[in-house]
Amino acid sequence: MAQYTQLGLQDAASPLMEELLHFHDHALMIITLISAFVLYIILTMVTAKTTDKYILDSQEVEIIWTVLPAIILVLIALPSLRILYLLDEINDPHLTIKAMGHQWYWSYEYTDYEDLGFDSYMVPTQDLTPGQFRLLEADHRMVIPVESPIRVLVSAEDVLHSWAVPSLGVKMDAVPGRLNQVAFVASRPGVFFGQCSEICGANHSFMPIVVEAVPLEHFENWSSLMLEDA
Amino acid sequence: MSLAKPVMRGMLAKRLRIHLPLAFLSSFGLAMAIKFMITEPRKQAYADFYKNYDSAKEFEAMREAGIFESVQPSGK
Repeated sequence: MAQYTQLGLQDAASPLMEELLHFHDHALMIITLISAFVLYIILTMVTAKTTDKYILDSQEVEIIWTVLPAIILVLIALPSLRILYLLDEINDPHLTIKAMGHQWYWSYEYTDYEDLGFDSYMVPTQDLTPGQFRLLEADHRMVIPVESPIRVLVSAEDVLHSWAVPSLGVKMDAVPGRLNQVAFVASRPGVFFGQCSEICGANHSFMPIVVEAVPLEHFENWSSLMLEDA
Repeated sequence: MSLAKPVMRGMLAKRLRIHLPLAFLSSFGLAMAIKFMITEPRKQAYADFYKNYDSAKEFEAMREAGIFESVQPSGK
């Protein structure tokens, strides 16, 4: 989850998010380089005692400030496109889960083997127990097996929503009448939080997503228990 | 007695000769500082984290701490 004074991205919990994190560092480094250069030039211009009459028609500087940005853009585009194609790789998921957005909760359906479905409402602030996180906890978590490719089919029953879990590097719009697919692997066990990322009405900020990654045998026990309770 | 002839031209070029390389060097230096103080250490931190990561052990520790809802601590 996000921390109070956090500036950067959340710690990655999937290989794709790690790639995105490193790319973000790379892009930020280039942005800082350009900003520092421009700041230095501005300071130099502001403190100059000379004035230059010849401010038109300089082929040399025109060439430099066209070619250099083009090179910088290529340096940004190459890793960006690499990650873009990585996102779209065929991944042979072990499990498919449907995440449906409603006003104002998520529902999850595990229909690969049996018919398991449940709703996931936010835990209201007054019902939180010590150690729980305000506006992030849900009464039923989406449980997945760790280190297994998971496919989530995202859709909505009413208005636009968006299913997002930053630490897994996942965000996918939930559009009524449309099935969007997103795939990821949880690299390590843990609990990962996200929030609805498309404005959907009064309680848009109060429909969080909680993903719990556990070893396969525990995931199987959990799904059996859920089926019994249903 | 005559005064020394003042500098009549080339003032901008002189200034650019000093400041342009300085601008490139300082911004490139800052970018390299970011690369070697932030970018590379972060890559190394992730590599080190996963090099000897014992997923089962970490899961058990989290389980005993009561973090999960699908799995109760072993005592319960």
